[in-house]
Amino acid sequence: MTKTEARLAIELRGVDKTFYGVHANENVDFQLEAGEVHALLGENGAGKSTLCSILAGLYRPDSGEMLLNGEPTVFRTPKEALAAGVGMVYQHFRLVPNLTVAENLALGHPDLGQRLNQKELHNTAAELGERYGLPVDPAARVWQLSVGQQQRVEILKLLYRDVKVLILDEPTAVLTPQEAEQLFKTMRQMASEGRSVIFVSHKLHEVKQVSDRVTVLRGGKNVGGVDTAEAEPADLARMMVGRDLVLPTREEAEGFGKAVLTVTDLMVDDARGLEAVRGISLKIRSGEVVGIAGVSGNGQRELAYGITGLRPPTGGKVELDGEDVTDMNVLAHINKGIAYVPQSRLGLGLAPGLTTEDNLALKAYRRAPYSKGVRLVASSFKEKGAEMIERYDVRGVQPGLPIRLLSGGNLQKALVGREVELEPKVLILRSPTRGLDVGATEAVRNIVLAERKRGVGVLLISEDLDELLALSDRLLVVYEGQIVGDLQTNEATAERLGLLMAGQTEAST
Amino acid sequence: MTQRRFIVEPRGLASIRLSIAVPVLSVLAALVVGGIFLALTGENAIEVYGEMIDAAFGSSRAISETLITTAPLILTGLAAAVAFKMLVWNIGGEGQLLFGAIFASGVAIWLGDGTSSAIAIPVVIMASAVGGAFWASIAAIPKVYLGTNEIITTLMLNFIALNIMNYLIFGSNSPWRDPESPQFPQGRPIPESASIPEFWNRLDYGIFIAIAIALLAYFLIYKTRWGFELRIVGDSADTARYAGIGVSKKILGVFLLSGAFAGLAGGLFVAGPVGGLDPRSLDLGLGFTGIIVAALARLNPIAVIPVAFLMAALINAGPALQSIGVPSSTVTMLQGAILIFAVAGEFFIANRIRRPERTDAAPDKTEAAA
Repeated sequence: MTKTEARLAIELRGVDKTFYGVHANENVDFQLEAGEVHALLGENGAGKSTLCSILAGLYRPDSGEMLLNGEPTVFRTPKEALAAGVGMVYQHFRLVPNLTVAENLALGHPDLGQRLNQKELHNTAAELGERYGLPVDPAARVWQLSVGQQQRVEILKLLYRDVKVLILDEPTAVLTPQEAEQLFKTMRQMASEGRSVIFVSHKLHEVKQVSDRVTVLRGGKNVGGVDTAEAEPADLARMMVGRDLVLPTREEAEGFGKAVLTVTDLMVDDARGLEAVRGISLKIRSGEVVGIAGVSGNGQRELAYGITGLRPPTGGKVELDGEDVTDMNVLAHINKGIAYVPQSRLGLGLAPGLTTEDNLALKAYRRAPYSKGVRLVASSFKEKGAEMIERYDVRGVQPGLPIRLLSGGNLQKALVGREVELEPKVLILRSPTRGLDVGATEAVRNIVLAERKRGVGVLLISEDLDELLALSDRLLVVYEGQIVGDLQTNEATAERLGLLMAGQTEAST
Repeated sequence: MTQRRFIVEPRGLASIRLSIAVPVLSVLAALVVGGIFLALTGENAIEVYGEMIDAAFGSSRAISETLITTAPLILTGLAAAVAFKMLVWNIGGEGQLLFGAIFASGVAIWLGDGTSSAIAIPVVIMASAVGGAFWASIAAIPKVYLGTNEIITTLMLNFIALNIMNYLIFGSNSPWRDPESPQFPQGRPIPESASIPEFWNRLDYGIFIAIAIALLAYFLIYKTRWGFELRIVGDSADTARYAGIGVSKKILGVFLLSGAFAGLAGGLFVAGPVGGLDPRSLDLGLGFTGIIVAALARLNPIAVIPVAFLMAALINAGPALQSIGVPSSTVTMLQGAILIFAVAGEFFIANRIRRPERTDAAPDKTEAAA
């Protein structure tokens, strides 16, 4: 072993992985050094998640090899990877909600016997949490925790197993700016102990702030690695997209029209029957984008459900163009002009097993030209579908194939396109660019701004502050089901919003 | 190298050729396995299969008898296919068939001899659909409004329906029972005017009714708004709710339609070959066989037609086997084997297995800089 090899924690050589005949990773070389925070940048569908999943043993590459500390290694399962000291925190957490934090840490740990020493376990959990700045109550049950706290549990789980390589897949997507700051400190500390951290992100400023080196993936290939200190954000963006790119920003509006959506003292329960929206009032005028900022799980979903009729409110009023629609069903909301882009694309917004054409007709099929009496007009599905696929630049559509095979960006373009095609009066969007690459983000934001210009009232519910600041005319901050802040966009800063999102009132200002 | 010998990957679109080839191969594979089993028990498999083919297709009478069994099987196959398509696990085709028969024979007897066939036959057939839907509703309504598990309720309702029929014939002097035959309880024959006319041996026009209903079901599912909504609900109930579709009503509707199809099978039996509520001729397990038909047809209403014909042939071959000293349960075993192979075959329709390309032999691969 030479000296340079000794510093490498993991090396990939010529790794290939195909899905449906498409290369998710193509001949990728990747070197991870011991004791570094290594950022993995790339658009959606660039192959970041595939690469991480290969490292974590979830996928096996079709070809190519992996060296762990210089030794050729094959991980057949995530368990083998963990045993070798490589662990991953997935975007969707893999915790058992009904167990306590400590029990989740113990779960699957090879050195623990059948009987758990709860006390010892709690002590270790508390100790680890303190040492890494990841405080969490070991006795709390996971379902009681916020998303940010659950993420801490995931990281603690890996640290408890003394993992040497931690892979964090877009960890900051669910955090407030302050929580993200804390996570970065934890990442730096782990690196200083000689562990390696792979940090997947879309956000250039985070990459710049926390990482030592950056590897950029594009179209499944490694298009270059650089030391972070030498990298300019603009250069990184160019490497990611392969071209220069400017995200659209809103022009100041001259004035807004009359109120199209008025919500008064709205109360909505969550799926468990607990109050999730606790008296929210808001007003959206024609041509106005109102942003709702907040950490996820503070009633955003229920707010959208309440306004669109998906969950009947337990109190309050929703008025569309002056008409009370509170107690109407979902179909009536659609017909009266409320369009809704939910956060879960394949779980709610689209029927994953149906074709793209069918999905583009998912709401309009009841009217001409899709329907003639009780009959469907197949040619209209085809023609209108082709038209919308072209207009909204949905790529990768193959006739007859289910829509779920499209990439996230194309799914979202189809979904947003279908909703605005209904020519709504009010457009509700939840995290519309979450997980999207820069190109698709640009496309979606352009559609939203075009709708605003057309005089649509837009309610933008998002956890992405950059997006909220770029698109909104006015920002409301939601915390525990109530509006705790109401600001003009020009008086909002990430700092101020972050404090409000964490439930701090603005008494001091 | 981590080069692997085989790669399993999902096919995007199942090819039509494969979706025909796989069921055919499943049947062949089941016959081979069955043949091995027959050989082990000392039978000559070729001879047994020859006998079976002869019994099912060997004469104009054999073919017409096979077609007689085909008609109700198409309908119980459809009953399973439309329900399963929406993830409604109605396995109560058996009981719904019997209730269709009870309603059909009851209405036919009540109408009596005085009604013209042009009215009596459609009314009797409609009654069977209502009977099947009614029996399905006992499971469907609690499922939709209370969330009960329809697998359990429909299964149990099969036994209740069977016992009700037995009570009507064996346990009471109900109007369904034939008063002319007090010693040997049997169903009262329905009036001639309510019977579907025969046109070839014992074969009646019911087979065309069954085929027409299968085509209608195809049209309903693939060409109408109702069917589109049904496919959305079957794919994702949450998405359907989001698109403004009344999911509960939809599930209830499909469940009742499924029951109506199974009920029609009983109606065709009563108005056709059986001619009354006769337990011995109705309790053949055609409701359950319909599940196998639907699975082999991959829930496609049109494919149900040929598959039902094939299964009918298998069923009719059973009694013939006994004459050469082979237990007729051989047929049940073959049915089971076919189902297992068909379900396993699904994997090959949905996935493709290939050898990996040799990527190590391509050193000239350069990075395409855009």
